[in-house]
Amino acid sequence: MLSYLIPGLGQIYQGKIGKGLLFLVCLYGMFFYGMSLGSWKNVYLPDTARDKNLNPWNLPAPLANGYNRLHFAGQFWIGVAAWPAIYQYWTVDREHKNGVVGSFERTPSEEDLNRLQREGDKSWDLGWVYTVIAGVLNILVIYDAYAGPALAEAERMRLTPQESTTA
Amino acid sequence: MNSSIYLHLPIMIALISLVYSATRFDGWGNILHEAFRWGLRMLGFLCGIAVVLYVLSLFI
Repeated sequence: MLSYLIPGLGQIYQGKIGKGLLFLVCLYGMFFYGMSLGSWKNVYLPDTARDKNLNPWNLPAPLANGYNRLHFAGQFWIGVAAWPAIYQYWTVDREHKNGVVGSFERTPSEEDLNRLQREGDKSWDLGWVYTVIAGVLNILVIYDAYAGPALAEAERMRLTPQESTTA
Repeated sequence: MNSSIYLHLPIMIALISLVYSATRFDGWGNILHEAFRWGLRMLGFLCGIAVVLYVLSLFI
């Protein structure tokens, strides 16, 4: 749970400080660097369910919105850093209120998106790839915090072959 | 297209292989060894794709 909230926090809590810091620095580094490459406008969850063209099968709103922005399904797993997008989705995009986090992770306007992709180089696309990879890698980090490293047994056998043969 | 975008590739490979390897081992020696191996595998895979695309582009 802690590793979901902030990458590596679960490992730090378990006393694996070095590993936790490695996850924290690498994953947050990738996530926020990716956001900066995308002009801080590539992590968001748009409310597209009411648009008949974008929801031709009349799926429930959360399903349709997730389907239309699959990037967020990967970005979500970075934890707290992706929550402003959910907050913006529920408050600003659906209820048209002003959020406390300003425009951070708010769905950009169609004009903004077109301008960013038309006038920029490929860094817009690279930016969201960074953020999605960071989010998906954090699933492995969460699993590591929950169940330990995937090859812990192999590591133990490699480190103490005498013990493993006498056991 | 700006070719500097490809400078991101080694950074991404290094970070991904390091994080992935750290989820498989606890010891730093094993982590770094596995990260190096995974980095080479990914680099080889991407280079293979690049060669295939280059060869295809010669015929199209």
